[in-house]
Amino acid sequence: MIKEEVQGATEEEQQAQSKKALKKQQKEAEKAAKKAEKQAKLAADQPTSEEDDFAKDRYGVPAMVQSQQKLDRTLVKVEDLTVAKADQLLWIRARVHTSRAKGKQCFLVLRQQQFNVQALVAVGDRASKQMVKFAANITKESIVDVEAVVRRVEQKIESCTQQDVELHIERIFVISQAEPRLPLQLDDAVRPDGDGEEEGRATVNQDTRLDNRVIDLRTTTSQAVFRLQSGVCQLFRDTLTNKGFVEIQTPKIISAASEGGANVFTVSYFKTSAYLAQSPQLYKQMCICADFDKVFCVGPVFRAEDSNTHRHLTEFVGLDIEMAFNYHYHEVIESITDTMVQIFKGLRDNFQTEIQTVNKQFPSEPFKFLEPTLRLEFQEAVAMLREAGVEMGDEEDLSTPNEKLLGRLVKEKYDTDFYVLDKYPLAVRPFYTMPDPSNPKYSNSYDMFMRGEEILSGAQRVHDAQLLTERATHHQIDLEKIKGYIDSFRYGAPPHGGGGIGLERVCMLYLGLHNVRQTSMFPRDPKRLTP
Amino acid sequence: MSMYQVKPVCGGHMHVDLPTCMYNIPNIHAQPGPGSDHALQNGEVDPAVKALEARQDEIMRKLYELKAAVEGLAKTVTTPDADLDLTVSSSFSSQSPTTAAFRSPANLESLLGKDLGALRDIVINANPAEPPLTLFVIHGLLCQRYRLLSSVHVHSSVASVPPQLLSCLGPRHADSYARQLFQLGFTLIWKNVPKLQMKFSIQNMCPIEGEANVARFLFKLLSVYPSDPAQATLVDSWVDTAFFQLAEGEKWLCFLCSCKCPALVQVL
Repeated sequence: MIKEEVQGATEEEQQAQSKKALKKQQKEAEKAAKKAEKQAKLAADQPTSEEDDFAKDRYGVPAMVQSQQKLDRTLVKVEDLTVAKADQLLWIRARVHTSRAKGKQCFLVLRQQQFNVQALVAVGDRASKQMVKFAANITKESIVDVEAVVRRVEQKIESCTQQDVELHIERIFVISQAEPRLPLQLDDAVRPDGDGEEEGRATVNQDTRLDNRVIDLRTTTSQAVFRLQSGVCQLFRDTLTNKGFVEIQTPKIISAASEGGANVFTVSYFKTSAYLAQSPQLYKQMCICADFDKVFCVGPVFRAEDSNTHRHLTEFVGLDIEMAFNYHYHEVIESITDTMVQIFKGLRDNFQTEIQTVNKQFPSEPFKFLEPTLRLEFQEAVAMLREAGVEMGDEEDLSTPNEKLLGRLVKEKYDTDFYVLDKYPLAVRPFYTMPDPSNPKYSNSYDMFMRGEEILSGAQRVHDAQLLTERATHHQIDLEKIKGYIDSFRYGAPPHGGGGIGLERVCMLYLGLHNVRQTSMFPRDPKRLTP
Repeated sequence: MSMYQVKPVCGGHMHVDLPTCMYNIPNIHAQPGPGSDHALQNGEVDPAVKALEARQDEIMRKLYELKAAVEGLAKTVTTPDADLDLTVSSSFSSQSPTTAAFRSPANLESLLGKDLGALRDIVINANPAEPPLTLFVIHGLLCQRYRLLSSVHVHSSVASVPPQLLSCLGPRHADSYARQLFQLGFTLIWKNVPKLQMKFSIQNMCPIEGEANVARFLFKLLSVYPSDPAQATLVDSWVDTAFFQLAEGEKWLCFLCSCKCPALVQVL
């Protein structure tokens, strides 16, 4: 600001002031002149840039897709972009994984689920400078429609899944723009943990991932994990259906806690309260008593356990089996283990791409198993543990560290990650477990382990109302609360047994991951209720 | 000649300093003598090769004598009262082989360790491409001797196995649902392993590799190995010879056939 008024100054000061003022004025004038020059230049440029943008209708942000018209355009999947399609002009819809401008070219990586491909916009007769600039400024994760020619490349593009081809873009439109600041970077989310620490590049920690699950699920690893999980469920259903099992749906809002009472969620039910089912146990058994012979069900299981561990969730997907048998509960064990082996074989033979993708970020040993499945007895396990230096009683339940150690010992001796431990002590099993006929200290119950962690707990059930009452009394359970359950066995019940597995835990252990939240899409635990 | 000529790159005759540590043999590629072509075609062997064979035989005989001498010395060191005359044949002629077998009962505890109240399971990993035939024989003998629980599994490293290999240990035992009723377990796993492998107690024993060694171990469950070290060594050498002949025999047979009749090899 120029001081225009100087009051009470001497002439000399006035003169000095005016000199300063002069200088200031000069500077201002220079600035104004420069500005004018710039504007003139811009004005001069603009008409030329508008003239030069011959590619104006080949790029841009079109109106939001509100189903304005039904185009009969085929969009090719990135997975199918191979040398076989070389020199064809195609349309592709994918996400912009990265975009990088380099002089007259812009390199983009377009990603679709587990696959990505390199694409390039170059100034030429199809693309203008403005188009290249537009492409470089597209925010990451935006969904784009691209019309491009597939070109073969001499050198393999190592950083993409489609290594033999690249796309030369002729038209590019942004269908859905992403906000510029992403809560997490996908490249960081896929980086293996060890690498990040060494080179100073970031990895994303689990809480951030779970808070921004929608973006985290877009990574190639997550895509692979959940596709494999879908495969597990599919194989479970198919194998059991082929064995003659019937799929049932059981209620999840129940009036009485089935397993023990301590770990149930209570919900308000009109004027009273009800519980969320801890397991479909009761209803599976009722179906057997209703002559369905062999049943299975897939549904949520709710456990109000305040355990913040790597393998517990408050809500998970339970895959449960129950079947009537002829003379010995080992018929049930054989059926269940055969189902598991068929699942493992199906995954080994049909999901290798997914397993390899997960291994890139989370390396692990491939899953090994024996057919028929190895069955050890509890006493043998105790002997093996004692030989290894563990002190434990004959009827003591296995603690988690002991289970892991036993898993390692079995792996060392038999080279299998999956086995059954049979004949658990009666004292550590629920009241409805059938006792062993030849030794009252043991029971006809079994656990199955994958990589040293328990995945299934099952048994022959007591199918006699009188014995059931005795066992319940022995365990000091209020008979009134389970009257309905005992009544189901009063009108003829076949001998039966079964067990249930957790889908998330089975996937986690099959892939050798270390936290069950990685295999649960929107996990629930004592500290997490959203998303 | 229609080819082009090239000037010689190096000189015609070079002087080579022969090392003194090697021995000379006549040049077999040099211009042959007048009668040698015919001699070879008749199937007779070149005399130089014959001389080499003779030398080799001589060396092997000397080695064998040395071995016997060392064994004798070893025995004198350990048992000072023993008779110094230790030619192998004399100690052997005193007993007939058939009575030696299954003479004294083997002690399971001394061989397999303390009984911990659970089934003692011997695990054998075998490659389905090379079934261990001797072990099937020993398995049969073990079944007569002990209450043996046998089971066969297929490891995930092998895609599939012919059904005969799955039932090679006989039908399933009626009591196989209760493992603790048995004294000994024999678990055979068909697995993609380079060499036959046996595991028993992973805390105290390392895995035993090789069909011969596994056979020796399992035989000790049936009968005590001969206590006389010379005799024991002889039995050992028989076992080794048998296995090498079996292995070599197959290969030698294949080699012979491939030389005489390639078509036969395809059939095999």
